[in-house]
Amino acid sequence: MQWFRSLTVVSLLLTPLAAEAGKERFSLPAGYGTGNKGVEVAQQRRPGSQPRYQAPVEIDPDAVPPPNPNLPQDFIPIPDRWRLIEAVGVNEKWWDPYNQNTLKGDRPIFDDWFVNIVVISDTIYEPRTFPIPVGIQTTKRAGSLDTFGDTSTEVFNTNLITSLQFIKGNTAYKPPDYEIRITPVFNYNKVWADELRVLRIQPERGDERSDRFIGWQELFLDYHIRNVSDRYDFDSIRVGIQPFSTDFRGFLFQDNQAGIRLFGTRDNNIFQYNLAYFRKLEKDTNSGLNDLTEDIRDDELFIANLYWQDMPVLGFVSQATVVHNRNREKDNFYFNNNGFLERPASLGDERQRDYDVTYFGFNGDGHFGRFNLTVSGYYAFGKDSHNVFSGVEDSDIRAWFVAAEPSVDFSWIRIRGSLMYASGDDDPFDDREEGFDAPFENPQFAGADTSYWIRQTIPLIGGGGVILSGRNAMFPALRSSKEQGQSNFNNPGLTLIGLGTDIDITPEIRLSTNFNRLDFVDTASLEFLRNQGEIDEGIGWDLSAALIWRPLFIQNIVFRLSGAVLLPDQGFKDLYRVNDDSEDFFYSVLANMVLTY
Amino acid sequence: MIAFARRLVQGLRALPAALALLMLAPAVADAQENLTVAEVQTVIAQAAAEATARGMPATIAVTDRVGNVLGVFRMTGAPDAMRVVSGRTVGLGFDFARFGLDNLIVPLGGIPAIPTLRLVPTELGAIAKAVTGAYLSSGGNAFTTRTANQIVQENFNVGELGQPSGPLFGVQFSQLPCSDLSSRFIGGNVNDFIGPKRSPLGLAADPGGLPLYKNGVPVGGIGVLADGEYGIDPVITDVDESDDEMIALAGTRGFEPPVDIMANRITVEGKTLRFTDKGMSALRTDPGNAPAFAAINGTVGNLIMVRGYNAAAAIVRGRAFGTPESGVRPETTGIYAPTQPFVLVDGNNNNRYPPRAGTDGILTAAEATEFVRQALKIAFAGRAQIRRPLNSFIQVTVSLVDTNGAILALARTPDGPMFGTDVSLQKARTAAFFSNPVAAAALRAADANITDLGAPFPNYARIGPYVDAVQAFVGPTALSDGIAFADRSGGNLSRPFYPDGSQDNQPGPFSKPIGIWSPFNVGLQLDLVLPQVVTHILFTLGISPTDTPVGCTPLNPTLATGLSQIPNGIQIFPGSVPVYKNGVLAGGLGVSGDGIDQDDMISFLGAHKGGLAANTGIGNAPANIRADTLTPQGTRLRYVNCPFKPFVDSDEQSPCKGK
Repeated sequence: MQWFRSLTVVSLLLTPLAAEAGKERFSLPAGYGTGNKGVEVAQQRRPGSQPRYQAPVEIDPDAVPPPNPNLPQDFIPIPDRWRLIEAVGVNEKWWDPYNQNTLKGDRPIFDDWFVNIVVISDTIYEPRTFPIPVGIQTTKRAGSLDTFGDTSTEVFNTNLITSLQFIKGNTAYKPPDYEIRITPVFNYNKVWADELRVLRIQPERGDERSDRFIGWQELFLDYHIRNVSDRYDFDSIRVGIQPFSTDFRGFLFQDNQAGIRLFGTRDNNIFQYNLAYFRKLEKDTNSGLNDLTEDIRDDELFIANLYWQDMPVLGFVSQATVVHNRNREKDNFYFNNNGFLERPASLGDERQRDYDVTYFGFNGDGHFGRFNLTVSGYYAFGKDSHNVFSGVEDSDIRAWFVAAEPSVDFSWIRIRGSLMYASGDDDPFDDREEGFDAPFENPQFAGADTSYWIRQTIPLIGGGGVILSGRNAMFPALRSSKEQGQSNFNNPGLTLIGLGTDIDITPEIRLSTNFNRLDFVDTASLEFLRNQGEIDEGIGWDLSAALIWRPLFIQNIVFRLSGAVLLPDQGFKDLYRVNDDSEDFFYSVLANMVLTY
Repeated sequence: MIAFARRLVQGLRALPAALALLMLAPAVADAQENLTVAEVQTVIAQAAAEATARGMPATIAVTDRVGNVLGVFRMTGAPDAMRVVSGRTVGLGFDFARFGLDNLIVPLGGIPAIPTLRLVPTELGAIAKAVTGAYLSSGGNAFTTRTANQIVQENFNVGELGQPSGPLFGVQFSQLPCSDLSSRFIGGNVNDFIGPKRSPLGLAADPGGLPLYKNGVPVGGIGVLADGEYGIDPVITDVDESDDEMIALAGTRGFEPPVDIMANRITVEGKTLRFTDKGMSALRTDPGNAPAFAAINGTVGNLIMVRGYNAAAAIVRGRAFGTPESGVRPETTGIYAPTQPFVLVDGNNNNRYPPRAGTDGILTAAEATEFVRQALKIAFAGRAQIRRPLNSFIQVTVSLVDTNGAILALARTPDGPMFGTDVSLQKARTAAFFSNPVAAAALRAADANITDLGAPFPNYARIGPYVDAVQAFVGPTALSDGIAFADRSGGNLSRPFYPDGSQDNQPGPFSKPIGIWSPFNVGLQLDLVLPQVVTHILFTLGISPTDTPVGCTPLNPTLATGLSQIPNGIQIFPGSVPVYKNGVLAGGLGVSGDGIDQDDMISFLGAHKGGLAANTGIGNAPANIRADTLTPQGTRLRYVNCPFKPFVDSDEQSPCKGK
């Protein structure tokens, strides 16, 4: 859009009034004015910078005078400055997001209001295995005499994400004045299992489930309050359902939730801050999308953070944050759409509870010379009104978490390490809850949804209606679900040590690999829940690879195929059947197609 | 090297548990503790002081571990009658056929002349609660009537809709006063103090029954009834301050279980069990400062005699569990070697149920021995679900019966909770009977033997309609076609929803519909024994001159035994399988005392391995005649469900597959 400027200058020159008005803002070409400075060199303007000029051009007094700018025959009617390009024969195509397109915010729809329409089709097909119990009351097959059943399930899930953005203000040079964004997501999902009572609590309802839902992932108004410096440092406020992440990798909270967020920058964007309040919307059980038909949850987040660019070195961003999670769902008895109890979790003494927990965090992302580094650390501190394990009222929450991802690039190969520790609870009967859990994690770490552990739901069979590790979650938090359950700080904790690569085989094809070792920190909570002694800490090895193919070199058409296996170690064998029918591993395959307009 | 180090570390970590096991086994077997008269007085006095402080005069009963009633104390002003009430049934009318025990009222003044109505005597409720506290507990677990409340309701936990019923659904109708296994106090009889004893109302789910311990060894139970209601607690997410429970809790001061084995440290399906809602800190008295028994006896209240339970208004000492006079002692002949179980003995120290051949001529004594031996071996190797410390072996009772319901062998691990004795027998008989092609006809024929009390009293429910219902539900040949019903299978048909927990669905054919269902009104299980229970209540009141006869159900007796096939009632929660010899039904193997999956596994694998060891064609039902081949109403029945991590020292997770 840089060329807009010169075109604008030309058009303004065509009328004397405009020329008058423009005098202060635009220097006229040499030869028409004072002429002693010469022509200004075209360069990026920064507030406070001095323009540079080419040497003055000597005007030959014998030359033919230039055309008179006021001559009517030279006047070309132009509808408005945004459509000049059509005058020179370049017309937009509504389906082409890569060139001028009104639907993509390149031209206003009226005044200086722009619209941007985004449509994303995100479809997955996901065959996988994880431990599944047979139905307690009935089984699919005769001869099912043991607790563990067939492990295989398949998921088909498609989201049509449609985002409509209305933006007021010049979008090219400065933050817009207003933005309204509406993003409904149309979901269809279907799951096939091979046992009863996995997909719904009523075993008679079979081993398949299809569902559809319209969720609201964005619904906000963004108001640009003010600019506070010549460099467009600003304060803005955003109200409504909006995306937010508490850190670079979604370790603590990354979600689209209802809230109010005051944010801005200072000192030429060196500092960025957020002051945010969120109150969780209920999630639709099977799509995971925001459900506006349910009552809003009594689960709130108060967030303050400050990003500091180039701290401590150029190229590294440091962030400090305080997040307070206030949960008041003690009066709740909430069943999800499949009939399973979400709150309180079907666990321990199953009494309802509130909790207040404050997270003090430090996060960093960037590079030290050639070495890239992302780090994150949180200390969780708070009170649980009722410890469902020990029965203690006003139990203390004391938990912590650190993670680091160092990496280094060798031309087209990146090699990265993943290190993570989330504390575990060592005594289920005391008045301290020492297992780390997050309000809504979405970890982009150690392979993320490529990895088996992070991607798949692993139910804690025989240990309560909870899951050992949630979908797109890393912490073994023993909660009913990441999406609808309460945090649980009575959990075994986790260590993850991993080595991975990202290999850009060609510009269109990237191969990522991950090799992660997983261990519990302390299995006391698992031993308690299963009334089973000596559960080993070793979970196993999580090996995964993902192939990402962008056939047209663009992000608008992306195919991804990933596969992961979990090779269980003794702890997993203590908990689950892993050695049956020569099937001694679990797998996860994810085929994903993302089309974006 | 790393592997070695790892094993070393694992070995060292296992050491404390192994040592604990080593110490536990002889400790339980050898430590013989009992309640003395003075201790029973202390327990009663402590409870009475708390009752006084609460202004809730109570009836207080104390029993020993095998159910002998050691003393019953009624405080002045305590209600002498109680309502049996679930709080569920609409209306107050009593109706045996519709409501079972719920809202039970019995006639006072004799039958049929004087139709004065009264409620059930409170001392029966107090005894039932004390027995429950004693019977559900062991050296590895301390459970209460509040625990029982949690595990007998239609969902586990109650209120968690969609979940299956409590794991011990139906256990309340065990230890019945008409049981042929449970001994009775007659007076002047050599068997007067051998256990296990019966309970007047079965097991109680009304908070206020707690176990008593001495030096970590279970020695009995205390039961309190002060509020005039023998009920259940339908809401367990709150924290009640039940007067009955607080009074009983005060009584246990000095006789508390070790903290580590209390119910709230034990999980089933990841859910902790309830011990009491409030603890000692909520007491209004310091039980240690309670007035001595001598100071309250005759003033605050009086000891009472309860017909059928004690000889006089007096206190007797408890019998030390494990000694012959308790009726339970180590087996000494080595017949079940290599296992060393306990057996039941009579007042002359004779094993009441040594292995013997079937009365139907099918199983030999050697085969009976092998079934029980193998089942015990599974128990000793298994991982207990309801015991601490973790990785304790399983403690249960194993009963084997033939097709007539005759007991062919009965043995128990040393510390199995007492309730499992009668229950394992109920389970064995239930599996054998419901797998028997004569079942349908035998149940129908029972109606001719049911004698109603006469107007104006309501009639008892009839049994025939249950057969009609199950044949309409499962198929016209149900209970007459020889399909093998494990207790889990029959239990599937005995829940107020089918499948269990699906609350929008119809009831199972052996259950009352949910509109009138309650733990006091479950359906066939209760209706088979209710007339005998009512007769017994009348006996305790002195209205009926004779006690209920031995043998609970109205079924015709078999020629071989003189009793019906199910003379201590049926059981409807899992833990038994029918056993076969060369494809012919030979009886049932029942197990009770630990988690239901553990009980299932021990019976199923006991039958399987007993067959392998005997090598005479005995074993489990052929897979093609098991109940899990049936899909009534489109929903398959279960046969057994063997537990996760079944054995302490093995990675095995599918112990029963393919067997």
